This record gives sequence, C-alpha cells and structure tokens, in this order.
Amino acid sequence: MEAAKTLGVDISSICGGKGTCGKCKVRIQKGEEGLNPLTDKEQKFLSEEELNANVRLACRAQLTVPAIIFVPERSRVGKQRLQTEGLEVPVTPNPLVRKHHLILPKPNLQDVRSDEDRLLDALREKHDLAGLEIDYEAAKTLPIDLRKKNWDVTAIIWKNKIISIEPGDTTDRCFGFAVDIGSTKLAGFLMDLNTGNVVSVTAKMNPQIPLGEDILTRITYAMMQGPKGQDDLQKKVVSGINEMIDECCKKADVKTEEIYELNFVGNTAMQMLFLKLWPQHTAFSPYPPVIRRGIDVDVTKLGLLSHPRANAHCVPVIGGFVGADSVADLMAVDMLESEEIVMDIDIGTNTEIALGNKDLTMIVSCASGPAFEGMEIKHGMRAATGAIEKIGIDIDSLEINYRTIDDASPVGICGSGLVDVLAEMLKAGFMDTKGKINNDLTDQTDRLRKTHEGWYEFIIASKGETATGDDITITQADIRELQKAKAAIRTGAEILLRRMNLTKDDITTLYVAGAFGNYIDPESARTIGMYPEVPIERIKFVGNTAGTGSRMCLISKDMREYAEEISARVHYYELASDVDFQNEYVQAMFLPHRDLSKQPILTEILRRLGRIK
Amino acid sequence: MSESRKESIFKRLAEAVVIGDTKMAEEAAREALAEGIQPYEAVINGLAEGMKVVSDKYETKEYFLPDMLLSSDAMYAGLNILTPHIPKSETEAKGKIILGVVEGDVHDIGKNIVKVMLTAAGYSVVDLGRDVPTSEFIEKAKNEGAQVIAMSTLMTPTLMSMKTVEDKLKEEGLKDKVKTVIGGGAVNEDWRAKIGSDAYGKDASEAVDKVKMLIDTILSAVEVMKKEKKKE
Repeated sequence: MEAAKTLGVDISSICGGKGTCGKCKVRIQKGEEGLNPLTDKEQKFLSEEELNANVRLACRAQLTVPAIIFVPERSRVGKQRLQTEGLEVPVTPNPLVRKHHLILPKPNLQDVRSDEDRLLDALREKHDLAGLEIDYEAAKTLPIDLRKKNWDVTAIIWKNKIISIEPGDTTDRCFGFAVDIGSTKLAGFLMDLNTGNVVSVTAKMNPQIPLGEDILTRITYAMMQGPKGQDDLQKKVVSGINEMIDECCKKADVKTEEIYELNFVGNTAMQMLFLKLWPQHTAFSPYPPVIRRGIDVDVTKLGLLSHPRANAHCVPVIGGFVGADSVADLMAVDMLESEEIVMDIDIGTNTEIALGNKDLTMIVSCASGPAFEGMEIKHGMRAATGAIEKIGIDIDSLEINYRTIDDASPVGICGSGLVDVLAEMLKAGFMDTKGKINNDLTDQTDRLRKTHEGWYEFIIASKGETATGDDITITQADIRELQKAKAAIRTGAEILLRRMNLTKDDITTLYVAGAFGNYIDPESARTIGMYPEVPIERIKFVGNTAGTGSRMCLISKDMREYAEEISARVHYYELASDVDFQNEYVQAMFLPHRDLSKQPILTEILRRLGRIK
Repeated sequence: MSESRKESIFKRLAEAVVIGDTKMAEEAAREALAEGIQPYEAVINGLAEGMKVVSDKYETKEYFLPDMLLSSDAMYAGLNILTPHIPKSETEAKGKIILGVVEGDVHDIGKNIVKVMLTAAGYSVVDLGRDVPTSEFIEKAKNEGAQVIAMSTLMTPTLMSMKTVEDKLKEEGLKDKVKTVIGGGAVNEDWRAKIGSDAYGKDASEAVDKVKMLIDTILSAVEVMKKEKKKE
C-alpha cells in the first residue's frame, strides 16, 4: 500500500489500511518469496483460488525485495466524487477581520506620540474605530512596518485587536479559509472576505483514517495512546488541512499569509480531536461534549498554515453526537426562523435528525452505521468510477437496468444504488416487507442463488458484464445491514414526531443533507421507509451543508452569532432513553414500515403489486 | 398420558416460538401443566427446541430482529406459565449468568436477544441492563454465585470497560470461578485475546454455545473436585 502510494497508484481502501475491509486485493506477479507470510486478516478475505494465484491484501503484504504487482480493476480507486457541494445560501459579508488603509502623519518634535498612539488615533479619526488594542506580537515589528512605505499602511483588525500592519494599501486582499472536517473527507474553501465569494476549493481524504476508520476507533486510539495519540491525530488532520490551504492558495495566486481567519465545522468528535480536547468522556454515555460554545484559537497553537496571528474559529456544537455540522445544517435551512414545521435529516455514519420551527426545534442522533457508504456490504463501494448508482427492475419482465458512475463497467454498488436495489427488489417481489429474499423464486429466475455462507443472494450484474470478472450481488446479510441502518434513521424520525406531538403530514419540507443524500433517489428512499412518507415534492436535497455553514460563519459574524443561538436553543433529545426505542426500531425494520397507517401512498402501491395484503 | 400426546404438546410449544405466536405458546404451556408434564421438560423439549430453530434461521439471515422479538415474546409467554412450577434448584443447577451492556454504553437490543436465547437454553439469567458499572458485574457474580459474566458493547471506546471488568476479576483472583464471554458490534476475537476474556460470541447464537462450553467446563471441574473430596 505504501509503495503504491509513493508511485501514485491509488489502491482502494475503505478501512484505511487496517486489514478489515478486504478491498485492496492485489496479485503478486513476481517476487512473492520476498513478502511477509500471509496474515490472519488476509486469510479471512482471500478465497482458496485467490491464495493460489498469489493474491494478497495490499495493506498487509510487506515488500522487502523488488516485486511486480498487478492491481486488478476492482482494487483501483478511480475518480471519486468530491461530494463537497452544498446548498448555497447568500450571506452579506460582515467578517470579523477588517482591513483599513491609513496614511499617518510622521512624528516630529511637535508630535512625539508613540507609534501605537499614532496608529490608534488615526483609526479613530479616519475610520471611527475606538477601543482597539495592538497585539503584542504585532507590536514587536510595528515601527518597521509603519515606516516601510513611508507611513502608508494597512491595519488588519480582528475584533478589537490590531493583529498586523502591512505596508501600502492591501485592503483588496483579505482572505479566509473555511474547512469542513469530515471523518472521511476534508473540504476546504479559500474565501475572499471582502466579497464573500469562493476563490478556490479542494477536498481530500482525512489523513486520520489510518489511525481509525471511524470517529469511535479514533477516540479509542487517543484513549489507549494518551496524549501522544491525541497528538498523532491532531497532527494528521492539520497536515491534511495545510495541504488544502497550500493547494487552494497556489491555484488562486494567494499567499498563505494573506489568510487572516479560518473557520472549522465538524462533528463534535472531529472538533475535539482537532483541538486536542480529551475525548474519552464524550464517548461514554450520556455523551457530554467538553465545550459546547464556539471557540477561538491562535493558529500557531494548532500549527495551521496562514498569517501567524490569524484566528481559528470552531463553530459551536449541540451535544456529544450532534456537532457543528448539525448547527451548520440548521443554519443553512434556516430552521430557527421557519414558521412552518420542517424536518432535516443529515445522513451519515451517524445520522442527525432535527424537527421543528422557530418556536421549538428538537434534534436526535441515530447510530445508522456505514452500510450506506458501502461498508460491511459484500460488493459495496464508495461513489467512484464504476459504482452502480442507479438500479431499476422491470416489474413484468423482471429485467434489470443499471447505471454506473462515469458509465464505466460495474465494479460494485454505492449508497444510492443500494437504496435503489432494496426498493426495486421489494416492488418486484424479490424480497418481502420483512427484508427476506424470496427464495421461492429460485426456479423462476437465475438471479437468485444460495451462497456458501448459507444465505441467498441476488445477482445485479453478472460476471460477463462487470469490470471485476465476478458477479455483483446483494446478499441477505447485506440487506440485514441496510435494514439496520435505515431503521435507525426512521426510528429517530418517528420518535421525534411522537415526542413533539406531530405527524408526517405536519412536515412541510423534508431536507435531506449529507454527501450521500444528494445522490439518492427520493422515491426509492421513501419506498424503503428511510424517512416518513411525505409527498415527493416536499423533499429537498441540500447536500453537504457543513461546508456551507463553515463558509457562512467565516464571512459573517452575524452568522457566527446565529450559530451560537442555534446551539443554545435547539433541544437535544437522547433516543436511547426513550421507552419506545426498541419497539419503534423493530417496526422500522420492515420495508417501508410495519405500521401501514403511516404510509397510505406506499401501501396502495405495494398492495397493487401484491406485495402486501 | 401417551408419549405421542406429550410429543404433540412439545411440538406445539416449539412451533409457537418459531412462528412467534404468543397465544399458541400460552395454550400449549397450560395444556402441558394440565396434562402433568414436568414443566422443566416442557421448557427444554418444547420452547427451547423452538428457539433453536429460530436461532438457526437467524444465523442464515432468514430471520431478523422483528422475527426474533416475536419469537421471544412467544417464548416468554410460555415461560411465564411454566417457570412458577419449576423448582429454583432445577434452573440454577444448569448454570447462572450475569448479563449486561458495559459501563458507558446504552445500546442493548443485542443483549436482549442473547438474554432470550440463554433463557431458552434453560439457564438462569441475571440481567443488569445497560451502562452497568464495572463493580456491579463483579459484586453480582459473587453474590449470585454465577459461573459466567456476559458483557456486550456496540461502541469502540467502551471496549475499555470490558477490560476493566476482566482486570478486576484477575485482581480479585476470581478467574477460576467466574468465566467471561463478550460480544457486540465493536467486539472481535482479537479484542478477546487482548484482554484475556474466556470467549467471544460473534452473534447471539454463538454466544449461547460459548456460555454452554464455559459452564460445562466449570461444572465438570466442580464434579471432579467433589469426587476427589469423596475419595479423601
């Protein structure tokens, strides 16, 4: 894996090289004798046939001698969707950083004011700014900076502090950097703070992944390793952020020193790891966050690439499992100002659901797991080239149509395809409402067969048409994982509705957020009962709003205040403490839901197709 | 009463559990009592047999949580009628298990399924619920004279709570008397080996197999000890 990285060959890995996903299979063509012996983890993932063909997991096999290695199609990454797009919300720029151009009177025997007074007086007289003070670090070189261009200067002020003096008029160059710290992906936006416009954008995989595939394993890493582990995690994410800053600046011909403020949005755990807050107690029930409010930190303390006296702001969180990303969601859809009842579902490994309006908003967190991201699914993969993203089954002929990303030969199935396949199998009768594959149909179709594990699987693309040379299937075990994920989400939505004495009909808009949310078919998701049955036209996809919220809070202090208000006003509700949780969860396991009265539209459709009585 | 009559009642008890029919389980249980069948026998040859079928179906993913809960409802319905007539010594003789979700975690659906299966297998189960403090596992095991502590967690950070229980048992020199079995979403064989727990069950049915293995080991060791004592 390391060698491939050095050579620029991208090998697929979901687990980040921990030997737990089995996606990085490579064939050793020459030099197999120089490799370490087969590990236990590899034995788990490799078939007899693969073992004989010298297939290894790239993350486990260690090279000691030169070797020739073949990376099969299925193990190649391909072009991955950045999934940084999110709802655009127009915000008038009102940043905390301001630049003011001044021409100061030179000191003489009649005017012996200090350099500091001279500057402060001019700022008061010309720009009506009072109560300012100068940063100690900026004061150190103040006399030099003032005199460099003969007292023609630009003062850079953050809140009420003069953080730097630049020679000449640089007011048109004032930049900020907004970051969305996702547990899988980082997204960075270089912003012009004068106009509020995006200057350049980039995204990259979170370099923390090798230390833990999800937030919980990363927290565990920190707990086990102590401060050194925290340090590792913090340095990794900062290195990723710095690479993005560097890249964005180069693209736009901006110097990193021209970035005076940075804004960060991530879930509570990601922000804790970024700020090196001790994460253990937040990971234990009842999951209290360390700090809830937004926080400002000197960039030097975090090691960020920017102006040395830039400020790094982390947006407030709501709870241990409801982070700044949720605050960003609610800000983007403006929930606290809404007259009407709206629901916002941010789908991810952890799914947050908010319900309410300007009078009352409640939010829950559901452990939905990574199944919709392709984890723990036999042929699951992320949304990249060759992923089956759309599937349809003809009800009469039972023929299957699918579409892949970039129209490449199919490699696996990504989240939106998984949602489709469940919905289509249900409608076509390949699966019942309990999620059981209908094995009575084995004599009518050659798409169903029994696996060696003892359960059934459904063939979506047969080996002749795939890039991997293997059938692409969905197994009964996969369906069970997906059911758990969708039931977790639906349970959160149902319990919220019940606790707020509302019904699905009260929801005027259902916002679906999250990177994956943008690509799912709203109808398919509704068919499997991922969310309450609302008319399709009420469903709106808002994409990755964490990036949106981060940009909004960067360019406007009003938005930063709004974020504080959201954090303070939204009520967190703990699902685990709800007496109905287990009962609701089990009902939500059914596709779409056990309680038919909750879904008149779907009941009608499924009844017509003969899927329910 | 004829053997075939008895067999038919057992069959109905089992069937009720498999299809998750609470009413049928109750009726068959009452009939068993009325016919003078030993209630313990009705549990083992009836309800537990049904649960075995359910467990197999669960393993091949044919059955899932909704089915499991219907089946367990039926099983408990039958048990509620039969257990009051079973002398306590009979269930306790088979073995006693302390069960719970470890400190810091509140996800207990999996644990509840394990409880059903252990109960069906005829063991006496003390369910401590969720977010159970470390000391409570150990105190309860001592007070109740349990052979096994069964712990679960879904979350990775709370794996540490399992280690704490394990370390405490070692510290107090209880490892000979009390064995541990662990399971749950975050747990795997590597973790079991790392903390020195006695067994890992990848799912509910495997957990029951492992408990049986552990209890058999302990009880046979006790038997050997008793025999040794007699010889003296």
